[in-house]
Amino acid sequence: MKVLVFGEVIDGEVQNITYELVACAKKLGEPVTLITSDADVSNIDGRVIKVNAGEISPWHYRIVEKVIEKEKPDVILFGNTSCGVDIASQLSANMPVATSAYEVESEDGSIKVKSLSYGGKVIVELKLETPAIVVLNSGSYDAEEGKGKASVEELEIEVEKDSEFIGYIKPAEEDVDISKAEIVVSVGRGIGDEANIEMAEELAELLGGVVAGSRPVIDQGWLPKTRQVGRSGKTVTGKLYLALGISGATEHVEGVKAKNVLAVNTDKTAPIFRISRYGVVADVNELLPVLIDKIKEIKEG
Amino acid sequence: MRICAVLRLVPDLVEELEVEENEVIPFRYMPNERDEHAVEEALILKEKTGAEVEVLGIADPDNEADIDEGLGMAAAKGADKLYKVILDRPSYKRAELAKALAEFLSDKNYDLILTGIQAIDSFAGNLGGMLAKNLGIPYIGGVVEVNISDGEVVVKKELGGGLLAEYRLSTPAVVSIVSAERPLKFVPFTKLRQAMKKAEIEEVELELPEFEGIEVVRYEVPPEPEITLIEGDVEEVADKLIEALKEISVL
Ligand SMILES: Cc1cc2nc3c(=O)[nH]c(=O)nc-3n(C[C@H](O)[C@H](O)[C@H](O)COP(=O)(O)OP(=O)(O)OC[C@H]3O[C@@H](n4cnc5c(N)ncnc54)[C@H](O)[C@@H]3O)c2cc1C
Ligand SMILES: Nc1ncnc2c1ncn2[C@@H]1O[C@H](COP(=O)(O)O)[C@@H](O)[C@H]1O
Repeated sequence: MKVLVFGEVIDGEVQNITYELVACAKKLGEPVTLITSDADVSNIDGRVIKVNAGEISPWHYRIVEKVIEKEKPDVILFGNTSCGVDIASQLSANMPVATSAYEVESEDGSIKVKSLSYGGKVIVELKLETPAIVVLNSGSYDAEEGKGKASVEELEIEVEKDSEFIGYIKPAEEDVDISKAEIVVSVGRGIGDEANIEMAEELAELLGGVVAGSRPVIDQGWLPKTRQVGRSGKTVTGKLYLALGISGATEHVEGVKAKNVLAVNTDKTAPIFRISRYGVVADVNELLPVLIDKIKEIKEG
Repeated sequence: MRICAVLRLVPDLVEELEVEENEVIPFRYMPNERDEHAVEEALILKEKTGAEVEVLGIADPDNEADIDEGLGMAAAKGADKLYKVILDRPSYKRAELAKALAEFLSDKNYDLILTGIQAIDSFAGNLGGMLAKNLGIPYIGGVVEVNISDGEVVVKKELGGGLLAEYRLSTPAVVSIVSAERPLKFVPFTKLRQAMKKAEIEEVELELPEFEGIEVVRYEVPPEPEITLIEGDVEEVADKLIEALKEISVL
């Protein structure tokens, strides 16, 4: 089975997802990776087609179209990332597609995919006729297995551009860098009210950590953007991630790489429990005052 | 300047989902959160540029009645015109919808079509890019801010990890929103009721084509986590949580 990987380069760097996609492609068959921006691609395992089309842009899908014509792959793999989805979604107007995939196999000439949908609450098993597009969640395959030695072919492909890259906007100087914190107390929509964030702050202070949040909390303006955990925000990597009223959607847990995850949620079936070491079924706003008092007692005692 | 925003109903995940091998049965529907942000961004553009904002609600035979509230909300916030599309079947692929929607939208002369970046129940594609491709116009997704001037759209797009990039597109274009550039406006219940009473919603019928090549083999609930959940009254639970914090030497 021939697999075309859409490799991602952002600001001159091959993104980790690229290696994960190559790892997946190697399991399916013979991979070739397409890179559309300039970068050092020498450690991508296998064949690499390099087209220097400037910074990654949605119109790069037209380059992918040309490479599909040339290479005739059975599967085209994209990362479930901001840029990957831009390109995959345009191509998939006329081709079978599975998104939010975390497992891909070939079976009798067709593609079997498992996707995580409904905020992580339902697994959907799909069968796609080839050629097909699969959009793979990051973290599904081991990036190390996609690293190796590249054999690079440079290609020139002229296509029409219908958007223009202007420039990168780097994240603001952080108040605190949650990705470097050992202890992160993180609040989700389940916290209910902006006023309740104070309790989370108090708890974080008692534990010697910092407060972070899920997207809805940041979107509401209850915490600054620099405190967002997840695909669009930061990845936490410390000793403890205490998730308070967070459901554990795929886009959120992509940013949770802490050694220990503890979650508090009223819903026993919340997907966050699947990545937790301990799960507490409780109302966070009832639990926090009691917990804070008890910890204070310990500290003072 | 004319803007169309797409608003679709999805299952409310706060409620129990009934998952059967060949279907997922929601208890209740609500507007897709990313679509609410698309509608909000359209209304922000109305404030910035005086654009006319039309909202296209999408419902299927199962939740037809529920879309009116979502559209009423958009009207209460300032939308100028409301449509509702009732699909002829409850289950369809994104590509099928994209084709049918593109046909409906193609002669409406919108300068900008906004959708949510994804729906919580999407696994067979993302509508925005497919729509643009069918319409033959530029596309960009993952957007958190839109500005329009002189027939050009400049957007801020999230690239992940807090990094953004700016892109320029000519109009007409399709833009998929992750979050509007400011929090969703709160609408008091009485204002919503008033808006719903006044709202005129034009009904649109779409006929979806049928595409082959994607088959749902089965739906299933993910396996139970391998952890023991801590349950009980608050005191008890707090004590156990403290034990856990001690075990990992946070306390
Ligand atoms: C392109 C894209 C990028 C995204 N990027 C990110 C990102 O970077 N970070 C991110 O977080 N999200 C991101 N999202 C959004 C993500 O899909 C989810 O919508 C989001 O993570 C949900 O946040 P939440 O868990 O706080 O809210 P919800 O999903 O609404 O969950 C709230 C949880 O709280 C529980 N709860 C309710 N009341 C209580 C209570 N009293 N006590 C205890 N528990 C309670 C509920 O059972 C529920 O599980 C992105 C989405 C898209 C489409
Ligand atoms: N099956 C569907 N029916 C109607 N609208 C949809 C459907 N799927 C997605 N959308 C709309 O498409 C946009 C992006 O969702 P999606 O790309 O499907 O995840 C949102 O505006 C959704 O409301």
